[in-house]
Amino acid sequence: MLRILRFVFGQVPNEEAIPLVRQSQNRPNCLSPSAVHLVRDTLSKGCILYLVRAGGWKKEQFLRDGQPKAGRLWERSGINELTLEFSRHSMEFLIWLTANKPGETKPMWKAPASELTIADHLLLFLVYEALREEKDIAAFLRCSSSFASNPLCHLLYPGDFAGEATDESLSFDGWFTSTGGLIIEAMQPILEDRWLQMERDKGQIGDWERMRAEGQEQTRILDLFLDAADRANRWDLTRFLLAVLDAILATPDLTPTFWTGGLQGSGPTRLADRLETQRSALAVLRCAERLRQWEQRARTSGFMDDDYAASKFWLGEYERFNGRQSTSRAEGILEMLEPL
Amino acid sequence: MSRAYRITVKESLARDLSASDEVCSDLEILAILPPDQMAELLRGELKRRGFEENGEKLIRHDDGITVAVDPKTGEVSVKAETADSVELKAQRDDWGYDDVGPGEEAIRRRTAEQLKQDLERRADQQQTRLQTQATEKLEGHLDEVRKELSQVVNRVTAEALKRKAASLGQIKEMTEDPESGSLTITVEV
Repeated sequence: MLRILRFVFGQVPNEEAIPLVRQSQNRPNCLSPSAVHLVRDTLSKGCILYLVRAGGWKKEQFLRDGQPKAGRLWERSGINELTLEFSRHSMEFLIWLTANKPGETKPMWKAPASELTIADHLLLFLVYEALREEKDIAAFLRCSSSFASNPLCHLLYPGDFAGEATDESLSFDGWFTSTGGLIIEAMQPILEDRWLQMERDKGQIGDWERMRAEGQEQTRILDLFLDAADRANRWDLTRFLLAVLDAILATPDLTPTFWTGGLQGSGPTRLADRLETQRSALAVLRCAERLRQWEQRARTSGFMDDDYAASKFWLGEYERFNGRQSTSRAEGILEMLEPL
Repeated sequence: MSRAYRITVKESLARDLSASDEVCSDLEILAILPPDQMAELLRGELKRRGFEENGEKLIRHDDGITVAVDPKTGEVSVKAETADSVELKAQRDDWGYDDVGPGEEAIRRRTAEQLKQDLERRADQQQTRLQTQATEKLEGHLDEVRKELSQVVNRVTAEALKRKAASLGQIKEMTEDPESGSLTITVEV
């Protein structure tokens, strides 16, 4: 179990850990205090190291109580706030993962959604990310409602869930305050890289149905994420989208073929279906309008308003990432698809 | 010695087929006047062009193409529909033997099942052909509808500008070029 856990944190090579995951072991009746201590130690150090390396080390500005605060992650927040609280479900999952052979176990492991902590979700995401290249294991994990409703899995890998049954319980509420917010802050560079890569990869998708499913899933996830950010007054945590749009739309003469140029054949018979696929491919561009609306709302914030500092901060970020230029170019590209 | 006998099975299929294709979009109309006034202008212009009120929307049917506009939201849909009736028949002969193999009833049932599947496939092909026709009809009309809607937007915008100008002061001069769509209004405030 420890080797699998260390593999999740990149401390043990694939060749050593994957065979352990793929085979079943006898489930122990109990774990010794030393074993529990080692698991706890590996979890705490591994998660902290992951978040630091992901982007926590960077000197950035994020909001704290509506005011921008600069520094590294541990400089922006006090030590009391930087805690990861794991429930018993994390240990139970690790034991289950070690003891069972993926694909041959019924019932699938899952935990009540209300009992999973933010830290549990982080661990499940890290396990999914580590095992994602093993397609059959990843597909097996997605069968569990605990993975199907994991916000980080959906946010980083929306395409993996495209075409699968929609989990209505998926929610980003709780990820913009306290521990959840700190994790999203630390993961901004990873989120930016990941979404940039997804946009660039769209030009290689040849299957119309796959493009449509991925685009629709991206739209769903972005809507949920942006809605939650708006409700929590944490526009700053959507900054990675500004960066993605800035990078993608740096070229002024981009056309929809950047995303849809790889689609093979003439596509579905109905024009409505072809159009829906092409519109879905541009899911990320659609959020430019939402970010622009936030910019406009920020401009109306007055000196005496409570959200003045946060609004000014957002305006600064919007300008830093060429928000107006991105929005204008995104609108132009989206218009090219419209038939009327 | 077994005797062979021929079994002839006939099946037919009659079906009404229909197909449609549709695109939806939004009219980009500048909010020069309050939304209800802009909606009223749009409603008037569409009625002038043969659209009829149908609930909240204005609709025009023309040669299997239906254009629907919601003046409040500016949402437009253009739909093409086609319909056809097909009557398909098929016949197949099969052979049975009186002392070996399946009996006549079984052979008849199996052959009838195969014929039905064959007829279903042919009906599906007709459906696909009909769908292609609906899509081609829609694509063929889109250009025309696009141009007309563009004219509608231009006229509504021009009318809104005139009203806005009149509310700002006295209009001293107004020149309109219908060909280029340009409108010049001089207002004394």
